Amino acid sequence: MGACVAARQVLRWSVRSATSSALFSPLRFGCCHVQPLCISRRLLCSSGSDCILQSNHHGVTDLSGKHAAELSLRSLVNMGFTDSQAEQIYETVSKAKGASSAKHALSALSSLFALGLNASTVGKLLEKCPQLYTIKESQFQQRIGNLRRQGLGEGSLQRVVSHYPQILVVPMKKINNVGMFLREKCLFTVQQVTEILRDSPAIIEEDLGELEYKFQYVYFRMGVKQAEMVKSKLFRFTLNEVRSRHCFLERRGLYQTPDKKGQTLIVNPKLNSILTVDQDTFLAQVAKASAEEYDVFQRLMAREWQAEEHQENFEAVSDDDEEEKDEENEGKKAYMRRKKK
Amino acid sequence: MALFMDTGLLLRKVNNLRCFTPRRNRVKEKWAATRAKYPPTTLALQHFDAAYGIQLGHLWPSVRAALLCERKYGALVNNFSDDDVLSDLQDQGCRDFISDTDLEVHLEQISAVGVEGESSDLSTKTSDISHQQLSPLQISRNIKCLVFPRGDITRFKPAKPDKFGLLGYYLMDAASVLPCLALDVQEGHNVLDLCAAPGGKTLTLLQTQCLGFLCVNDSSISRTLRLKRVLHSYTPKPFLSGDNLRITSFDGTKWGEIERDTFDRVLVDVPCTTDRHSLVEDDNNIFSRSRTGERRRLPQLQLELLLAGIEATHPGGEILYSTCTLSQTQNQSVVEQAIHLAQENHSIHLQVVDLKPLTHMFRKTFHFAPNLHLGEMVIPHLAANFGPIYMCKLKRLT
Repeated sequence: MGACVAARQVLRWSVRSATSSALFSPLRFGCCHVQPLCISRRLLCSSGSDCILQSNHHGVTDLSGKHAAELSLRSLVNMGFTDSQAEQIYETVSKAKGASSAKHALSALSSLFALGLNASTVGKLLEKCPQLYTIKESQFQQRIGNLRRQGLGEGSLQRVVSHYPQILVVPMKKINNVGMFLREKCLFTVQQVTEILRDSPAIIEEDLGELEYKFQYVYFRMGVKQAEMVKSKLFRFTLNEVRSRHCFLERRGLYQTPDKKGQTLIVNPKLNSILTVDQDTFLAQVAKASAEEYDVFQRLMAREWQAEEHQENFEAVSDDDEEEKDEENEGKKAYMRRKKK
Repeated sequence: MALFMDTGLLLRKVNNLRCFTPRRNRVKEKWAATRAKYPPTTLALQHFDAAYGIQLGHLWPSVRAALLCERKYGALVNNFSDDDVLSDLQDQGCRDFISDTDLEVHLEQISAVGVEGESSDLSTKTSDISHQQLSPLQISRNIKCLVFPRGDITRFKPAKPDKFGLLGYYLMDAASVLPCLALDVQEGHNVLDLCAAPGGKTLTLLQTQCLGFLCVNDSSISRTLRLKRVLHSYTPKPFLSGDNLRITSFDGTKWGEIERDTFDRVLVDVPCTTDRHSLVEDDNNIFSRSRTGERRRLPQLQLELLLAGIEATHPGGEILYSTCTLSQTQNQSVVEQAIHLAQENHSIHLQVVDLKPLTHMFRKTFHFAPNLHLGEMVIPHLAANFGPIYMCKLKRLT
């Protein structure tokens, strides 16, 4: 971030002293602080979307030049949006209250373009996640920077943002908490945490308690280690999905919890082959059962789990003075406490 | 207890009678603080995986999953109750599986049944060889048992007493009704229920309301008490009088000596490893290590009970052997041996009665094991989680 600021300063000075240079011609229209940043991004980033950036800059700087925060349809189309997208953006911004809404929208658009996303993607993102309009410029940059620190480099960052724009809406603390939780409680490596954020960004919206239970279920009850969890994109699936499929296999005798030494009497199917396939393939190839059986099974399980939760709530009330001091087994004991009949 | 000086024997002074009480009747004083490493339910599951994995083959995973999940109940309608139980339950979505079949069953007349495919009108199509072999089907009458449709997991609410204090229906495994249907109790028959407790099948037999005399026996006194309680909750006093019913707690294996050649119908629902119960309940589980000897003697006990039942039937009468286990050693093997020994030792000639018509009749409700060479078996399935029930019907010819 420091380098960017420095670069920005350098450019400002060079800009002030420059006369007319083809490269810096857009700057004649004003000294909006957005511009140097865009350009510094262009210099520092090595993404190959130079020409898109160039044309987007023209569009953005055109707007900023007007100062009157006019976000007209024509300017939107100039940026590269389709007619329908431009209309939609215009409508959303007009409906939003507050004088600075248009300015926010502007900064949002420019920040998104600065990431290197093309107009159609940006249009889709804004449609999917209208809160993007309300993010302040500084927040935007901070959050992007934070994501980069989490390990999401070029390419990954753009991919995550385009698939899950909400990741820019949540405060940095939330993302950092999740990252810390995964590293410290679940003992994932830093690279694994980055991969999880990249493949399953929706994880940031999950309750940490629920996340912990899901992790413990897969780790202890299924005996699956971290590397396999990451490979099978575990955090894309809900706890119930994982539980249903696992219990179905377990009760059919096709999956066994490994013993202390990690051994089983049968070969367990890999987590990948259980989760990432669609239901029909799962039933046909892994479970070798009919859809009717699985449907009844899921309903029976839902009832069983509900009864367990009831029981658990009842016991938790009367269980408050127990304390676990053993650090090593704490994770497992907490899980077993919740799980016990 | 004092020392018996005059007998010349020195007995150690005994503080209490604990060492003289059989282990199963002792009160548990000390309760374990931690769970056992391999509880009886786990031992049972391991045992079944080994045995039934081979016996049932590719069917075993489905059966295993069904056994480990919540079972499905049926509501046996109490014909003695005042309330209109049938329509109440039907409003909730159940149907009586006994009358809800594709086939018509004439209880008095003999009719050949051979319905092919989905056709609702009856025609004696005997194009299929298996249909030609279907002998006429006669089942005990008046029995009504309601179940929720296939795949429906709704639970029954507990039965409520009517104005006379009798309960409207009895919740039991719907498959347990099948042995009573297969027994084909007819008007005025004298029936013996050799191992009756806890009383579900006895109650079912009473629903026919056409019995001459019913003898009910169970070797365990505590279980017989439970049986009596069940009967009192469901049956009016007149039907439980000494003219119609006799409840005893004798050793069932002795019946050949007590009442030889007496009964028209005998139901031998032997004690077994109760597969479903053994996988779920740790208490009093027959797979616990302390009961290993008892479990290994089961087939022998079952054989003796069946032979006693055979001896108690008069020639021309019928015996129905049933268990609630999938194990071949407790099912087919026992029946085969009994037939052989009856011939050898008592010159009793027995004929196996084909129950295929029964399985054909109820194939919509239950899953039956295919290709059993002797008898029929209901196997659990997640969508129809009844059973396991094995039954084999024998007719005494001599």
